[in-house]
Amino acid sequence: MAGHPFRNRVLVAACAALACVFFAGASYADETCNSPYMSKLIKGQEDYVYVWTLGVEGVGDGSDKLVTVDVHPKSKSYGKVINSVSIGSRNEAHHMGFTDDRRFLWAGGLSDSKIYVFDIATDPAKPTLARTIADLGERTGYLGPHTYYALPGRMLVQALSNTKDKSGVTGMAVYNNKGEYITSYAMPTEGGGDGYGYDLAVNPKKNVLLTSSFTGYTNYMRPLGELVQDAEAMKRFGATMAAWDLKAMKPTKIFSVPGAPLEIRWSLAPADNWAVTAAALTSKIWLIKQDAAGAWQAKDVATIGDPAKIPLPVDISITRDGKGLWVNTFMDGTTRYFDLSNPEAPKQTYAKVTGKQVNMISQSWDGKRVYITSSLLANWDKGGADNEQFLRGFTWNGVDLTPAFEIDFTKEKLGRAHHMKLGSKALRAAK
Amino acid sequence: MIRPRALALLAGLACASALPVSGHDGEPLPALDFEPPRPGTYTLHRIMAAPDGEVLGVDGRPQRLSRFTRERITLLGFIYTTCVDPEGCPLAYRVFDTVREVIVANPALRDKVRLVTLSFDPARDSPSAMRAYAGSRVSGDAGGLPWYFLTTRSARALMPLVEGFGQDVRRTVDRSSGRPRRELSHVLKVFLIDRAGFIREIYTSTFLHPQTLLNDIETLVMEDARAGSAGPR
Repeated sequence: MAGHPFRNRVLVAACAALACVFFAGASYADETCNSPYMSKLIKGQEDYVYVWTLGVEGVGDGSDKLVTVDVHPKSKSYGKVINSVSIGSRNEAHHMGFTDDRRFLWAGGLSDSKIYVFDIATDPAKPTLARTIADLGERTGYLGPHTYYALPGRMLVQALSNTKDKSGVTGMAVYNNKGEYITSYAMPTEGGGDGYGYDLAVNPKKNVLLTSSFTGYTNYMRPLGELVQDAEAMKRFGATMAAWDLKAMKPTKIFSVPGAPLEIRWSLAPADNWAVTAAALTSKIWLIKQDAAGAWQAKDVATIGDPAKIPLPVDISITRDGKGLWVNTFMDGTTRYFDLSNPEAPKQTYAKVTGKQVNMISQSWDGKRVYITSSLLANWDKGGADNEQFLRGFTWNGVDLTPAFEIDFTKEKLGRAHHMKLGSKALRAAK
Repeated sequence: MIRPRALALLAGLACASALPVSGHDGEPLPALDFEPPRPGTYTLHRIMAAPDGEVLGVDGRPQRLSRFTRERITLLGFIYTTCVDPEGCPLAYRVFDTVREVIVANPALRDKVRLVTLSFDPARDSPSAMRAYAGSRVSGDAGGLPWYFLTTRSARALMPLVEGFGQDVRRTVDRSSGRPRRELSHVLKVFLIDRAGFIREIYTSTFLHPQTLLNDIETLVMEDARAGSAGPR
């Protein structure tokens, strides 16, 4: 969908005026952010990046698709698209998540309640659509499956909306790995909860599930320029996080986290007992940590860019040692690195403009390779020349990001590049 | 009926940390880093039906696996006897052993639970190899709590079970020692199966702890009691 400069100016102005713009980002985009229950982490060189791509009318077949890109530097097809699986419809493709055995990749769209399950084990270079799960809406009343988080033998799915009024009041559903529905859990609406959902992340050693909050279909499917001028609609964004007793799947504490807290990342360092998130509206990094008495607390610990300029942090990626955090800010197209050595006081140590609009950021396990995509939501992406749609690969030497390859998703007739997951030839299933 | 049993179980748990480790010993099991919810205060949903197929007991006699996954609450774990990963099969054995000792000390639970250890390496884990692995724990010698050590006739017989449980296994070769060593790469999983044969929880090494398992067993026992079907058939 082509935009135009005027639209961009209107959007930026509206954002600044209302200071109320929220953006859907990503979950578990990278190798350091997978579910702790997932096996087969790729700790060496990844071979593939799978890109869940929004279809664009008039571009290729116009449908959402899973695109496979060869990212092994020694491969003849390095930096090239080597496979594409179209689902034959356009449903606001958004996020993906591996099953715990990393044999299947679950993906979904925000405009309906369907979940697409891709087989990535039979041939990791050529994923296939294994099944479509179509009963989420009927079973739960939830709409817009967003986060796919592997639990042992099953998948915890966080939705963004509901089929009744399409607001942000929503919940989580659990399916087994065969795609059979098990149960669901409503997001808390008591004790300060707003009922909204966005991301989720588990710390099994602490028996804690953290959830964050965004907004519903009526907002995220609306053209951004129109949305930001609707003051009432702009009030309907999440401002909470929740801690849950993971075993019991019951909320235990609601945190006030203004500004749409999005991605949640637990530190993977064994002795650490904290997670971070980024609030889009306020451009803040929040720390969720146990205090001396063992109680979970949330507090804002850093500012991302100049909040007055609405940089809009939309995705974060934590290093495997919990010492660093990548942050992508959509509006200024900037990729930032924060030193997290002291999670109570993150410090920005690097920034680089990596696109005219940037959304997702993924890093390899060793942190040496960083991948970035461009699209946020079909109706929220910028217009005209600013509507770049790409996957860009970089190398990171601890000092600077160096471009390694780039794929123009519009030129390749693919669509809007959104969520990424990494793949490997070594994960081919035994026959 | 339930409350005294729960109290007895908790009393057993209090002693769990003092229990001796088995012949498959290792580092002491770490303490839980959280206070788990009390038994019966949460729901263990039916995840899926446990698969069935032919298995071999330590006597080499073929039987259906369902004989070992119905009528009692079952803890089932896949292992291979040559596994040395401390976060893998040895951990499962030690946790099972601790659970066994606690349950054996509680007559109210002893006749409601069984343990099953199933090999996913039929090429090396013959029935006699499983008997040797079991040692004194083999069913009948496990202090009154049935603990079955099973294998399969072949990979062909095994695979439907492995797939059915979702126990992913890959064959790898460890060359780190200079002498290539065939290994079975897997993520440790232990399955809690109810009396009707449904998997109700799947544990991995990240939260495989005797207290968690015992609480879940107690939760299923309480559920059975509420359904009016407590006690062995």
